[in-house]
Amino acid sequence: MSDLAFITGTRKGIGRAIAEHLLSQGWIVAGCSRRDNDLKHENYHHFNCDVSDEAAVIKTIKTVKKTLQPIKVLINNAGIASMNHLLLTPLKSYQDIFQTNVQGTFLMLRETAKQMSRTGGGRIINFTSIANPLNLEGEAIYAASKAAVESLTKTAAKELAEMNITVNAIGPTPVETDLIKLVPKEKIDSLVKQQSIQRLGTHEDILNAVDFFIKPQSDFITGQILYLGGVN
Amino acid sequence: MSIERHTLLNLLQTILRELGEDLGKDSLLQTDEKTPLFGSRSELDSMNLVNFITEIEERLSDDYNIDITLANSSAMSRTRSPFLRVGSCVDYIIELIDKQNNE
Repeated sequence: MSDLAFITGTRKGIGRAIAEHLLSQGWIVAGCSRRDNDLKHENYHHFNCDVSDEAAVIKTIKTVKKTLQPIKVLINNAGIASMNHLLLTPLKSYQDIFQTNVQGTFLMLRETAKQMSRTGGGRIINFTSIANPLNLEGEAIYAASKAAVESLTKTAAKELAEMNITVNAIGPTPVETDLIKLVPKEKIDSLVKQQSIQRLGTHEDILNAVDFFIKPQSDFITGQILYLGGVN
Repeated sequence: MSIERHTLLNLLQTILRELGEDLGKDSLLQTDEKTPLFGSRSELDSMNLVNFITEIEERLSDDYNIDITLANSSAMSRTRSPFLRVGSCVDYIIELIDKQNNE
């Protein structure tokens, strides 16, 4: 029987690409988003779930196990961003970003790891961003949320290692997604110039990193933050 | 969702017995309501306690369709931890289930 991967934020963008990629490789994929998803595949199962809602996360993760099968891979992709000068950033933006990016990652990780601890272990991949190591202006709160995700990743890797669960994070460069569509081109160009390899990222770049972390031979790799594009 | 108190007590004792068998600790094979779960008199170290609590949550969900989170802020802020002894843990879980049923 194929293993099951759970991916948050599968309605569009990177999450959708990862879901389609794993489905093409024969995985059973369960995914969630706050709204309905038009991804149709016999092995795709969608859940409407806000990852920052504790009760909804608990219900979703338990339902996956009861109605489908235990989760082998969790990909915490769901995230939101907001560009603004720090002095013009509303508190609501801060709260929304931390609720989805940090609280959502934490809740999904906690509930899924409980399940994985009883089913022989698993792999967890979180999503950070190069906005953190590059200290991008205009993204102070987003970068801070991703710094928190990185810290969570490293500590969770230690605490969950004895349960045979690895926890790593991928830090993509800007990719053509909804998250950056409102960012001025000059801003993106200037950001790309700070990368060792100066181009926008692609979904394939990220899929390659996902494949690396979930392959059986990667069971000795945990607590790592993998930035793309030569950022460190 | 509901569970009888004695059924819940049996569940916790079963989990402790299984842990005892895994860990080679005979004192966990026969437990009662007064068996300490943490502190200097407990046979469980901190990771054993984590596994114990996780196991309770998962079995309540799998076997009794009861979905609760034991480690919540109300438990952590009490002056007397509900995880001190088997009996207090059973009482706390019953309380959580009742609270959830009334929401």
